[in-house]
Parts: sequence; structure tokens; C-alpha cells
Amino acid sequence: MKFNLPIGPQHPALKEPISLRMTVEGEVIRDADLRLGYNHRGLEKLAEEKNWTQNIYLVERICGICSHSHSTCYVQGVEKLMEIEPPKRGAYIRYLVSELERIHSHLLWLGVAGHEAGFDSFFMYTWRDREVVMDLLEMISGNRVHYAMNTLGGVRRDLDGTLIRKILDGLVVLKQRTEYYFKLGASEPTFVGRLAGVGYLSKEKAIALSAVGPMARASGITADVRKDDPHAVYDEVPFDVCSADSCDVLGRTVVRIKELFESYKICEFLLKNLPAGDIAVKAPKKAKPNEVVSRYEAPRGENIHYIKSNGTDKPERLKVRAPTLANYPAAIEMLKNGFIADIPLIFAAIDPCICCAERTVELVNARSGEERIVRFSELRKLAGERFEKSPVKRNVEWPF
Amino acid sequence: MTDLERLESLKTALGGSIVEITNPARRRIFVTVDRANLAAVMTTLRDRLGFIYIATISGVDAGEAYEILYHMADAHGNVNIRIRVPKADGHVTSITPIIPGAIFYERELQDMFGLVVDGLPDPRPLIMPDDWPAGNYPLRKDWKFERPAEIIPGGKK
Repeated sequence: MKFNLPIGPQHPALKEPISLRMTVEGEVIRDADLRLGYNHRGLEKLAEEKNWTQNIYLVERICGICSHSHSTCYVQGVEKLMEIEPPKRGAYIRYLVSELERIHSHLLWLGVAGHEAGFDSFFMYTWRDREVVMDLLEMISGNRVHYAMNTLGGVRRDLDGTLIRKILDGLVVLKQRTEYYFKLGASEPTFVGRLAGVGYLSKEKAIALSAVGPMARASGITADVRKDDPHAVYDEVPFDVCSADSCDVLGRTVVRIKELFESYKICEFLLKNLPAGDIAVKAPKKAKPNEVVSRYEAPRGENIHYIKSNGTDKPERLKVRAPTLANYPAAIEMLKNGFIADIPLIFAAIDPCICCAERTVELVNARSGEERIVRFSELRKLAGERFEKSPVKRNVEWPF
Repeated sequence: MTDLERLESLKTALGGSIVEITNPARRRIFVTVDRANLAAVMTTLRDRLGFIYIATISGVDAGEAYEILYHMADAHGNVNIRIRVPKADGHVTSITPIIPGAIFYERELQDMFGLVVDGLPDPRPLIMPDDWPAGNYPLRKDWKFERPAEIIPGGKK
């Protein structure tokens, strides 16, 4: 007997609210189908009517969590079209903000994973510590979410000595806290047991479905745009690509914790080697007819912008591909043969934005046609109950 | 692998299918091919050069024709395969059987440009709402948005 289980379409916790229709057999998901477009804003069409500078602020509003990723990806492409290069100091500050953004995004994700796994203390700890990096970003840019740091030819705000010291102090605190999370797994077998084996995505499938970011790296693919296609400062900065080969949510957690340490390292390097000089050069109003492919490693994976200019002050075409879209085919694959109780965790593993985690799930019973409306929190409670009763997986170990 | 080696390996592998090959920036290669050869080119890229990752597919309205770019990448950089599709005959061969990760990008192409992707395993609309009027393809240059008059059910005429 098969049932249909629709989730969405109003799904504000994702960048694009989506509708997931799952075919379930008992507790097991057999098939999942996706319907997108509920939050399509026609942004690519709108970009063709705005000039190069206005578009920086437009693309920044694609996402609330990785806002700097989109504007950096756009700006580094347009700078190539305009044949200008940001001064070294400007570039260092730009990618410092990128790495701080990665830290806040990964800490946010860790909290969500803890919350969905029923480990709410972990969620509260990580989100409290996330405030440290949010405050640093606010000190640098004046804003917590849309930093508006980028401009064509550099950045808009400079750092002074006091600020650099404050950032370095903040990084020390963050590092200590992350080391604590690092040890936490070893002493908390229920957490590890809950994450292990959930949302399995084999390496072959991850490659075939073109998965990106921590999702791909947790399946043993060592792809990272910062290493493969070092844009701007990344060929000067020492860092390692983090991967795991357990192919499950535990692997994705491990990859993100390791990446936090790499980001701290990069931030420290950028701050200690911050060159003197200007932060921006003047950009022309128009760009010659040309085209450019701009790639950037956002916290969730590769972000790619294709920009074509036609000699005016407006783009001929701006194509944006955010990493979450690339991970949807893989997310369908992960849901297959999983349990209903694991949906929140698998969903969280693709790292959707968590602007609003409370939502309604409709359970349809195909035999009786009876529909049951459950709140997302109830679904999570069901998941918690199920795993409280099940025995702890003794054979799983924290991989550090 | 340097860009020169990459250019050589592409020329050897693809041979006569290449119409034009350019290398405008470091780690960026643009290859124009005939649209009839697209599936063959993609198969060669996957099997002989190991390109399995597709970043995205971009469509561009270029006057008389649509330009479609397949942005592929591997650990050494980015290769973009470009085809031109005349507006009078908007058909493209699907590459989803070769690279399964391309499915969403091809469905998006159908929604946005009104192209027909032949051989797509799941050709339903991806982005457009169910009640979207037929024949409206937003990313075509001649398409202009007109806000439809608001009709309130049961409201005053």
C-alpha cells in the first residue's frame, strides 16, 4: 500500500519554497517529486533593466544567508568585463567578509542539524556563538545580513587597527567553541547515532547528479571552487579542502566543522597579511560587449554567474545558478528509501535557509483518503519519539 | 593542466565537431559546436575527458537565434559548450541521459525560452505556475511584462 505525502508548497524555510510530494510505503519513502517556482521573482529579467551598479544590490537580495556570495560572484565577473581589478587591500577585505559569512552560515547549519536531531542544547550553543561572528560582520559593514560591502572595483568600507584586533579576538572565541563541538561528538553517542546512516548519497550518485558543496564533499568528492578555480586571493591563502566519505548527514556535519577551522585559518591569514593601500578603484559606467563565467564557492557550494554585456550600462543577460538548485536532484535521491521521521534531518542537510522553521505538513492516507494536518514541530516530535525508543547505534563512532 | 594542454586535448577529442574554440581568460574555454552534434560531444567529453559535472545551462536570446551554453567544470577549470538554435526551429537534444544532473536546467530552459528539449525524461514545467498563460516565455527579449487586471471573484463589475 502506497501513500502520498505532500510537503509544501508554502515552505518559507527554503530560499525557494518548494513542494515535495513523497510516495511512502509504511514508514519508508519510495519516491519523491519536486515542484519549484513558488518564490520565483523574475530576477534575471529584472537585472536586464538595471545598470551594473544597481544590480550589485539586486543580486545581494537573492539570498539572506549567503548574500555576500552572490554579490561577490557578480562583482568579480563584472570587474573582468570592465577590465578593472580591485586593489589588493580591497580584495583581502572582500574575501575576509566571504569567510566570515561562511562561518556564520556553517554555525547556523550546525544548530539546525542539532535542532532537527532533537539535541536542542547544541542548537542553542551554536546559535549563541554565531552571534559573535554576526557582531563582527556588523562592526565591519554596519549590517547583520545584507552587508553591502562590494562595489565595482573593490569594497566600500575599510578596516582599522582596532577593528582588526576585535576580529582576531572574536576568532579566538569562535575557535575555542568549535573545538568544544569537535569533542562533543565523541562524548555524545546518541547525537552521532542519530546522524549516522541518514540521507545516504553514494559517491557515484553525487557525481552523476552534479551535487555541490559540503553535500558533495561529504560523499568523498574533493571539489572546491576555491581550490579548483582559485579566484582572487585564494591562490595566495593556505587552506585545505575538507571531505568525508561516510556519505550521510554525519559526514556533512563533519565536513562543516572541519571547514569552520579552515575558515578561521583563512581569516587570520587575511588579517595578518592585510596589505596597505586603497580599497577600491573607480569603475567605468559601461562595459564592452563580452561575456564572462564567474564561479565562487558559497557556504552551500558552487555559485555560478554567467554575465554577457552589450556595450551599454546594462547587462544583456545575467544567469544565476545558486547552489541549492544544484543539490535538489541529490536531495530527492537522499529521501528515497529513508524514513518519514528523517525528512526534517535530510531536508536540513541540504542547508536550506531557516528563516521560519515552523510549517505545516499534510499527511494523506491513501487507503481512507483521510488527510491529517501536522505541524512541523509535531513531525519533529514524532521523529524524536521514534528514535528515543530505538536502541543506540553502538557501532558508530565520531570520526575525528 | 594548463589551458594550452586543455585546448589541445579538446581539439584531439572533439576533432571536426568544433566550429570555434576560444580561451578568453585563464581556466575559461568556450567551444562552439553544431547543435546536431551536441549529444555526441557531451558523450565524448564525459567518456574521454571525464567531464561529468555540469554547473548550469544558460540560454541567451541573441536576435535571430538562441545561444545555449552548457557550463561544464572539473578540477582544472571550466569549459563552456555553446550551441546556436534558430528561433524558427527551437529544438534541442536533451543531455540528461548523458549527464543526469542536467535535468532541472533543461526544464528551466523550456520554461524560460519556449525551446523544446527532445528526449527529456520529465518535461513538466519546473518554475512557471500551473495557470501561466501558454506562449509566454519571460527571458525572450521581445517579452514584456504586463500586469493582468485584477479580478475579484464575486466583486463589483
